Amino acid sequence: MFICGSDNAPENQNRDGDDESWLAMNAAPSIKIEHLSKRYGATVALDDVSFSLQPGEVCGLLGENGAGKSTLVKVLSGVVKPDQGVVWLGDSPYVVKDCQTAKAHGVATAYQELSLIPTLSVAINLFLPNPETNAWGMISSRRVEQMAAEVLNEFGVGDISPSALVEDLSLGLRQRVEIVRAMLSKPRLLLLDEPTAALSDREWLFNLIDQFVLGGASIIYISHKLDEVQRVCQHCVILRNGRKALEARVKDLSSNQVFSSMAGRSVVEFFPEKATSVRKAEQDVLRLDHLSCEGLQDVSFSIKPGEILGIAALEGQGQSSLFKALVGLMPLKDGQIIINGRPRTISSPRSARQAGLVLVPEERKTEGIFPDLTTRANISLPEIDKLSAAWLVQMNKEKEWVQEKAVKVDLGSEYIPLPITSLSGGNQQKALLARSLLTDPMCLLLFDPTRGVDVITKQTIYKIIREFVQGGKAVLFYSTELDELVHLCDRCLVLYQNAVVAEVPRGQLSQQKLLSLATGQLSNRTQDGQVAENKV
Amino acid sequence: MIPIRINRLNGAPLAFALFVAMYIAYALHMPSALSLFSITNLFNNTVVLALAAVGLTFVILIKEMDLSPVGVIAVTNVLVATQSGSTPYGALLCFLLCCLIGLGIGLINGVLVAYLRLQSLACTLSTMIICQGVALIILPAPGGEVAEFISYQLTDLIGGVFPVSAAILVLVAALWLFLRRTSFGIGLYAVGTDEVAAHYSGIKVNRIRLGAFALAGIFYGLAGYMLSAQIGSGDPRVSSSFLLYVFAAVAIGGTSLSGGRGGIIGSLAGAGILTIMQKMLFSLGVSDFYTNIFNGVIMVLAILLGNSTALLNKWREHRENFASSSYLRGREKQAGSKQAEATQ
Repeated sequence: MFICGSDNAPENQNRDGDDESWLAMNAAPSIKIEHLSKRYGATVALDDVSFSLQPGEVCGLLGENGAGKSTLVKVLSGVVKPDQGVVWLGDSPYVVKDCQTAKAHGVATAYQELSLIPTLSVAINLFLPNPETNAWGMISSRRVEQMAAEVLNEFGVGDISPSALVEDLSLGLRQRVEIVRAMLSKPRLLLLDEPTAALSDREWLFNLIDQFVLGGASIIYISHKLDEVQRVCQHCVILRNGRKALEARVKDLSSNQVFSSMAGRSVVEFFPEKATSVRKAEQDVLRLDHLSCEGLQDVSFSIKPGEILGIAALEGQGQSSLFKALVGLMPLKDGQIIINGRPRTISSPRSARQAGLVLVPEERKTEGIFPDLTTRANISLPEIDKLSAAWLVQMNKEKEWVQEKAVKVDLGSEYIPLPITSLSGGNQQKALLARSLLTDPMCLLLFDPTRGVDVITKQTIYKIIREFVQGGKAVLFYSTELDELVHLCDRCLVLYQNAVVAEVPRGQLSQQKLLSLATGQLSNRTQDGQVAENKV
Repeated sequence: MIPIRINRLNGAPLAFALFVAMYIAYALHMPSALSLFSITNLFNNTVVLALAAVGLTFVILIKEMDLSPVGVIAVTNVLVATQSGSTPYGALLCFLLCCLIGLGIGLINGVLVAYLRLQSLACTLSTMIICQGVALIILPAPGGEVAEFISYQLTDLIGGVFPVSAAILVLVAALWLFLRRTSFGIGLYAVGTDEVAAHYSGIKVNRIRLGAFALAGIFYGLAGYMLSAQIGSGDPRVSSSFLLYVFAAVAIGGTSLSGGRGGIIGSLAGAGILTIMQKMLFSLGVSDFYTNIFNGVIMVLAILLGNSTALLNKWREHRENFASSSYLRGREKQAGSKQAEATQ
């Protein structure tokens, strides 16, 4: 296996390499990243990452959610400053203050979240920040649109009208405009952050990339779809927990190697014994019948009492829509939610709670806690009506209720009177779990409940989940950490491109398998595979 | 696609249509409304509100708030009332002074908001209060006198046929049509729509913010100057309810208070609508006390009308989605529901 070394470091020749013809330096790497580190508070987003790119090379950047891919893109495009490390562009150090200077240095980015202005036309967007103006500083829309039409034709997307507003385009077309715009400035380093997330025609992009690198420019291609990396990249870097886990030539790599480098957790954690408590004979607690909504297509599944159903998916594959739809935060286009055999209309989290579904949301800080209230008030809030007499909250009753649930989630009673913001992330999460248990729900919807939580609390959360289902209740559990799904779930559904592509029974659960399904690799081997394939 | 075209009906054209309709209704009731005198009067009554609304529109477009218009107007008004001599030279000097004061306060607001990252609502509230205090120092009680040159010339007709106020508004509209197509104009929309995307696109977000506040200040200064010409004297306590009318004019004109949509032309029409509303109610003999109620109702109607097309589109989209998804289910769900991209 060919491991890229960090030899032949170019000397800083004190030259402003901006306008130098970089084609002439094809012996030296066109970009060299050395010991890049970045931390946000206690989280290490990038930890001593080094690699280099040759001119004309496409480097795939792989990694799980939160592995540090986005941070690396942000550092290179000038959005955030690294704490440590140097980036060499050609033979000059590349120091960026902001996005403008990055572009001036020849680094352009097609952002995952798109950086187009919805209320402006495609043409204007293409030439931002400074569209061509006439002698009076006015922009001739006809002229700009003409130029844009030529550009769009050149890039093979002539069917996009240059005068259309970006907000009127579909997401796929917006993504194309974003890519065209990044390539338009003829950068020497192009960053493509999940460029195919909304693309239906990936070949279009692959052809563009093939042409683009002929000029000697380099590309960093971020994706978590392995087939794409195999198609366009010569070498690839895998990040894990902010560190470089593997760097190798793509053709020397097997899929298995990639998956195990991406998935292998540094800490082997202890999981409670996998004693299943599924009551197969009983009626489904929750059944979804052809559920469709924005960002979710035709999802059907059911959960038995005592079952933990896992959802495995990479970022943005529809899991968020699924959980939101289940608590009425996303209007259903089609389908039914059936709880305990009765079809229910769920129009709000409140009605979901009444029907027995309670969500522990993704964003603890913004969607979960009320930062100005005490822990007790945070826990009792949804049921405050029941604790009140004549509109006054009965403090004793509240204390009792909260205490009872706090014991269940292992939350120390000393924390209960404190403001919730003074608690650690783990204890906050326990408080939120206590809140969700308050109404005795039939089914808990846990969206990544162990994110940003210490190891001990994770154990507690696993225990809570186990105990909860042993009482004949059910849990729908999404986690970004695949090992949790493997060890905790009785069954696991894999979402890919907004649809369920596979169902993995308990005996076959493994991280490798889930990851390869979630990246769309194995989809054609499963019975639902055909659906996924057609949508690509 | 049809919904797109309907969308474009929002805002300025709608406000203009409403203005014309109201004017016709007014003229039907009072035929004298079509006389040159009445028209001049209408423009004179509109111009102060219109200039202030134009200024505010720049700020609203970039998704910020500005409460300082009444402050700037108060300061410039008392300044003109105390400092304008009787010569054209004094009038010109006052004019420049008004612009400079407006610019200065606008720049202060801009620096506070863009570079010190303060909340615009809070810091423009402070500048407003400071300005009102300064106005009281310059002229403690209503009074003073505005040079006759200003109060006559600016409320008169050019060549006996065209109201000066109307000419000013035409100039403002022309300036906007120019500005809108410069990099600055595009920057206004970009910053107001999505500040992060604008930053990623290489737009100098803070400069646009500063520019918007500065330009707004100049327009408030001009509004103060024109107000002095209208009332012929100084009043340090320009009523705070005027501020709400300025916001109302902007909102009726179709500029979204959440930024990035709308424009100056709509605000001009919005100011016209509010003025003619007053005149209509007056001519109908409705008591002053009721005017505010009607103004409020008109505002809600205008905003509702502006949103109705969007609501209609949403409803239609929903219906189409529903129809297509049940159709698909009937046909065993062919993997075709992602055709949206192909059809565009």
